[in-house]
Amino acid sequence: MKPMNRKTRKIRGIGQQIEELSYTADTVISDKLADNEAEIVAIFDKCSDLVVRKMELPGSVPCLVVYLNVLVEDVSWDGGLLEPLSSFKADPSAGPDAYIDQLTAKLASTLQPMILGSMKEVVESIVHGSVVLFLESQKRAVLFPFKDQKQRELQEPSTEAVIRGPRLGFIENIDVNMALLRQYLRTPRLKMERMSVGKLSRTDVTLAYLDSYAPPSVIQDVKTRLSQIQFDSVISSGYVEELISDHPYSPFPVIQATERPDSVAASFITGKVAVIVNGTPMVLLLPVTFWFGFQSAEDYFMNFIFATMLRWLRYLFAFMAMALPSIFVAITTYHPEMIPTSLALSLAAAREVVPFPAMAETLIMEITFEALREAGVRLPRPVGQTISIVGALVIGQAAVQAGIISAPIIIVVSMTGIASFLIPHAAMSQAVSMMRFPMVVLAGTFGLYGVSAGLLAILVHLTTLRSYGVPYLWPIAPFNRPGMMDVIVRSPWRYMHKRQQHIQQMLELQKQ
Amino acid sequence: MKGLGTLKRCAVLAISCTLLAGCWDRKEMDDIALVMASAIDQLGDGQIELSLQIALPTGIPGTLQTGGKGQKPVLVVAVKGKNAHELIGQAQQQLSRKLFFGHRGVIIFGEEYARRGITEVLDTLLRFPDSRYNSFFLTARGASAKEILTTPYHLELIPAIGMKIMQNSQYTVGVKIDRFLDHLAADGTMPYSGAIRIVKDAQGEPTFQIDQVAVYRENKLAGYLSGKSLQAFKMIKGMGKGMKLTAEVEPKGPETQGTITADVLSVRSKIRAFYVKGTPSFDLTVNVDSRGLANDSTLDISKTPNLLRAEKALTDELNERLTDLLTLTQREFKSDVVGFGRELHIEHPKAWKKLKKRWTDLYPEVPVRVRARVHLERIGRTQAPGHLELPE
Repeated sequence: MKPMNRKTRKIRGIGQQIEELSYTADTVISDKLADNEAEIVAIFDKCSDLVVRKMELPGSVPCLVVYLNVLVEDVSWDGGLLEPLSSFKADPSAGPDAYIDQLTAKLASTLQPMILGSMKEVVESIVHGSVVLFLESQKRAVLFPFKDQKQRELQEPSTEAVIRGPRLGFIENIDVNMALLRQYLRTPRLKMERMSVGKLSRTDVTLAYLDSYAPPSVIQDVKTRLSQIQFDSVISSGYVEELISDHPYSPFPVIQATERPDSVAASFITGKVAVIVNGTPMVLLLPVTFWFGFQSAEDYFMNFIFATMLRWLRYLFAFMAMALPSIFVAITTYHPEMIPTSLALSLAAAREVVPFPAMAETLIMEITFEALREAGVRLPRPVGQTISIVGALVIGQAAVQAGIISAPIIIVVSMTGIASFLIPHAAMSQAVSMMRFPMVVLAGTFGLYGVSAGLLAILVHLTTLRSYGVPYLWPIAPFNRPGMMDVIVRSPWRYMHKRQQHIQQMLELQKQ
Repeated sequence: MKGLGTLKRCAVLAISCTLLAGCWDRKEMDDIALVMASAIDQLGDGQIELSLQIALPTGIPGTLQTGGKGQKPVLVVAVKGKNAHELIGQAQQQLSRKLFFGHRGVIIFGEEYARRGITEVLDTLLRFPDSRYNSFFLTARGASAKEILTTPYHLELIPAIGMKIMQNSQYTVGVKIDRFLDHLAADGTMPYSGAIRIVKDAQGEPTFQIDQVAVYRENKLAGYLSGKSLQAFKMIKGMGKGMKLTAEVEPKGPETQGTITADVLSVRSKIRAFYVKGTPSFDLTVNVDSRGLANDSTLDISKTPNLLRAEKALTDELNERLTDLLTLTQREFKSDVVGFGRELHIEHPKAWKKLKKRWTDLYPEVPVRVRARVHLERIGRTQAPGHLELPE
């Protein structure tokens, strides 16, 4: 099947001028230690953490040990490498050329040495935290890999909190993250293909999926796009998400980022593919549909009736987050006859002293709210309290008492604010709540006509979106009955199995 | 559209939107004068007077900025002139805010104006886009409509809202514009509306009361229904639920009034039309299910003969009221407000074609047989009335 890559093209980064760095030239390893030393020192010029040690291996073989001391801990260096090396005894009858093969064979069980043939490999191994051993009169070097152990403790994910679910979250270290996934799915079918992106950063990226569950076309597509990333440095999965997304210009996320290993493991069963990027606790999941933004991990751990109710609540409030201020503006300024009479009178009374039109009022308060929220997120904890006081007292109460903003607007804006926090995924929450600004302008200029035009435009946009070939509004449009089990309601688990492998179903539908 | 960039496409869409709709319809809540009620009166010199009751948002308490104490929540504006539409323009000249009729709850016709005919205002109402069909028509009795608008009402902030709520309840007969127009335009029935009058409350303050129905003949007021004839009218119109029927079952005793009161639970009324040898005639059947509400007599109605006697008395009472109503509409008002003509139209369309033109003149003479039946259920079996002697 041909991959459905609508927008796959070469993704170029900023510094494409630095095509080849000097060290990557096909420098070969010299058989003279002095030459190698000079070369390494030249490449790692001004790198104060570089350690170059000359020593003698048993059998009077001079050698050169090179590593970065910040990446290799003293303990592993002393006990882990020096000791086995010094107790090594070579068979002198084999000749000097066989010395290096004997060394690797002897130490294979404990140190997993590898033989490197080019200087490029050597340099890459050093920056990954390995120890490289050059030997006199050898055009090969031996590499002793040491795992970089600098990582934080496993913690509870802070962005997607649950009450009943597992408390484990991904961390920055890719190996730990892969191990976490392996713990959920004990099967060799769980494939993890490793590659590296970023010319300078050489970031490790792992493509994880369940073989025969994930559609091959999607896997192929992700691989193609990952290999096409021509970027100097890839620091976090946010870079990758944007670079391999089908619609990088749409505000709506077509790739899910999650901190929860259980969510990723559960998604594998439905045929999704995960992209794990080293250095970020957020793992990318794809393809996704629009509805992922309203499904919390908690939904699957609790009673399905309650989960269904929560989902409806989220859909309702997501709509409010998007359209409530605009509907309010449209009705009060264009269609006051639609308001119940007594409410109309209260609204009129509240507006009596307010100098601005309703649209301006709403925009002022919405922008203020967004600013407060952003300030609250970025500020250090101890200062954060100030913001809530300023927000609640100064902006809320004082603005109303001073007659600058009418009280109903404050209510509408607060409702909208709360509504936007009900959407469990941050990216979806941002996308949905950003929409209210153009909506308010439309409402203020065209009334309900503008509101419906805006909603229609958003709907049209959503229907055009694809995530790796999967229609964004699947299973509603195009309609798919088994898929509906996890959208409008969260079906009981005993019926949910019909939905498994549904990414495959989505793509089948596409082919017709 | 092909060949245009996304930006240009958006620009084209935005511009066409601007042309299709526009800010000229925009009205902020504090730029409009909310008309809660309007009233039309006939003046002696041939002019008509339009009064508008406008809500004053500043007078509404409960908001943070304005205490609203001492300020009246409404303003009444009155203008005189020749026709209704011209009057609205005149009223606008007195106001800094744009008149907004979207929340008008009631339209009141002065008695004199209604007797002269209301066609002119109806036309204005029909054409005026702001005005809504779900406001109520009321006819003033014994007072000019303007007087009613200026009468204070203390239970609601705005008197017009009080009237509207009263009209929405089952205790008054409420007729909205659309129904009134329907009755006016349809053959074989006449329009009616609630009638409002000014009464004094216990402190001697004037207040209004909606306890009657104004009956129109074509577009002119013919008279008012009140009391028992109004009850009969509501029974026929299917608004009888909750109504109380009281009938005398025995002579007034030393301690009792000798009456039984029933609370109407449901009414099924049916008009049958007959057309025999060029003469129309009608059967009016009214079946009432009711519940014993009060037994102010010595009868024990849990006993079948007594129950039958009570039902008979109630039936007779209802029969009498219905007959009175028909006499009133036929002899005095000469207005087929009950809608016998409509039934004739349905059952004998061919005959109706012949009679249609003359129906207004024919109606006062057509014979109507009244067949009422009151059924008393739920007489209250759990407890005997307190004044009845306990069985040994």
